[in-house]
Amino acid sequence: MDYSVSDPTDFSHTSIPQLSQLDTLVRCHICKDLLKIPVLTPCSHTFCSLCIREYLTREPKCPLCLNELRESSLRSEFLVSEIIESYRSVRDALLESLMKNQHNDNGESLIELTDDDNDDDLEIVGTNSREVNKDKNENSVGKITKPSTSSGVNSLLSSQRNKSNTKEQLAQCPICSGFYPIQALERTHLDECLTMQTLDANDNIKKRRPTPPIPQIKSPKSSSKPKRGAGTKDDVSHVDKYLSSFNTDQRRERLPKINFASMNLSQIKQKLMSLNLPTYGSRQNMITRYNHYEILWNSNFCDAIEPVDESELRRQLTSWEASHNPSNSNNSTNIISKMMRRANQGNSYQKLLADFKNDNFQRKSWIHMFRKDFKNLLKEAKRSIPRSPKTIDNVENQITAPENTEKA
Amino acid sequence: MASLPKRIIKETERLASDPVPGIGAEPHEDNLRYFAVTIEGPKESPYEDGIFELELYLPDDYPMEAPKVRFLTRIYHPNIDRLGRICLDVLKNNWSPALQIRTVLLSIQALLASPNPNDPLANDVAEDWIKNEELAISKAREWTTLYAEKK
Repeated sequence: MDYSVSDPTDFSHTSIPQLSQLDTLVRCHICKDLLKIPVLTPCSHTFCSLCIREYLTREPKCPLCLNELRESSLRSEFLVSEIIESYRSVRDALLESLMKNQHNDNGESLIELTDDDNDDDLEIVGTNSREVNKDKNENSVGKITKPSTSSGVNSLLSSQRNKSNTKEQLAQCPICSGFYPIQALERTHLDECLTMQTLDANDNIKKRRPTPPIPQIKSPKSSSKPKRGAGTKDDVSHVDKYLSSFNTDQRRERLPKINFASMNLSQIKQKLMSLNLPTYGSRQNMITRYNHYEILWNSNFCDAIEPVDESELRRQLTSWEASHNPSNSNNSTNIISKMMRRANQGNSYQKLLADFKNDNFQRKSWIHMFRKDFKNLLKEAKRSIPRSPKTIDNVENQITAPENTEKA
Repeated sequence: MASLPKRIIKETERLASDPVPGIGAEPHEDNLRYFAVTIEGPKESPYEDGIFELELYLPDDYPMEAPKVRFLTRIYHPNIDRLGRICLDVLKNNWSPALQIRTVLLSIQALLASPNPNDPLANDVAEDWIKNEELAISKAREWTTLYAEKK
């Protein structure tokens, strides 16, 4: 299983530790994960749709401010949703490149320090390393013999690039907000940027602005994770998704809360069947099943920006039930827990279970592995029927009734 | 058996990497939902210098349901009974999934610092506390040295 869990503190060791605040803010206070299908409460707090809906079935109040809260007053937040999705898609790359910058800084400073013998506490986008950089810059410019056809800034940059991509220390220009190597920024760029602004010489800006920042943006992505190269595409799609999102009547109706107390078993079964849900298990199992399906359904069709279809919801339900079953069925002397325990020792079982949790359910191998247990379960079920003769009729009715409805 | 929710992993990691001063919490090897907790008695309370052992269990429905916490070390406190059960709002009605292990343990530490005999769990202790607070506090101190002495 994958135990790597993201956490706001991931950023505390990067060059921008303040990002951990942002990372905290985009998390749900219930599951502590990045918000998934965020919804807004009337008290202006945001949670994952599933988390808050599940909590509200227990307590009708906001987990953060304890104000009264009803499920029907939740509103979806498409903008927040897409902000977080786009953040999610770049988070790893962001983290990696921030870590890398820091490493590189250290690496570079070490190289320099062998020459200069300075103290080794360098800052992250170090201001104190500027002097060091200047020195080095003078050396490197002299060494590099590449014919420079372009402007001063560009030749500086190309020389930087030639240093086998030695990771330059970059700083943001306060005027045009592009990223440049510090020495280039100090020496020429600032002046140029200022004069250009005053002159409003658009041509020049166009020429110079786009070129320098590009290598910076590209290098971490292309070198480390080529797949992330499509990052820009992702951004576009998140914007498009938000712009084209709308909550219409075409969406499916929400599933209602059902008062099961007034229903008998066959009515409950019919209700489940009408939603194509399985009808095995005890009355309580079925009620729990419906209730969770209702949460899944409403979260999906009322809140999600891109609802999935019903079969996917049913799959989610099955996998939820599988992970919650052991606790629910404690009361009976159940074979399931026994066979789980016994099978726990086998590696193949572990693999199957892991697959199941990862949504790669392999039906055949399950059937094969637990053939004996299934047989026992069947036997036991058959045996238990005659024990309560009164219910036989009911059971039979229930069995035949749904079939009829299906045929009809 | 049921896979451990991410949130629990996260909390456990944080408790280890960034522990609360005066509070220790370690998950059991066999059951990652079961924590062995130690809380140092707060300064300037009758529990000062004591180290109290507690057990904390995260039920299957955590964080929808509050964690279950119990004192294992005996303690003379109006809101904690002989069995170590704790009368604390956040463990009962005021539980919210936005709270976490860390905040619960901090609340318990705060409860040690300010006992509330008007909402008692251990009635006899609470009565003593109201009748003669000084005597009760000295008794609490006595129990602390008796049961919760640092080893």
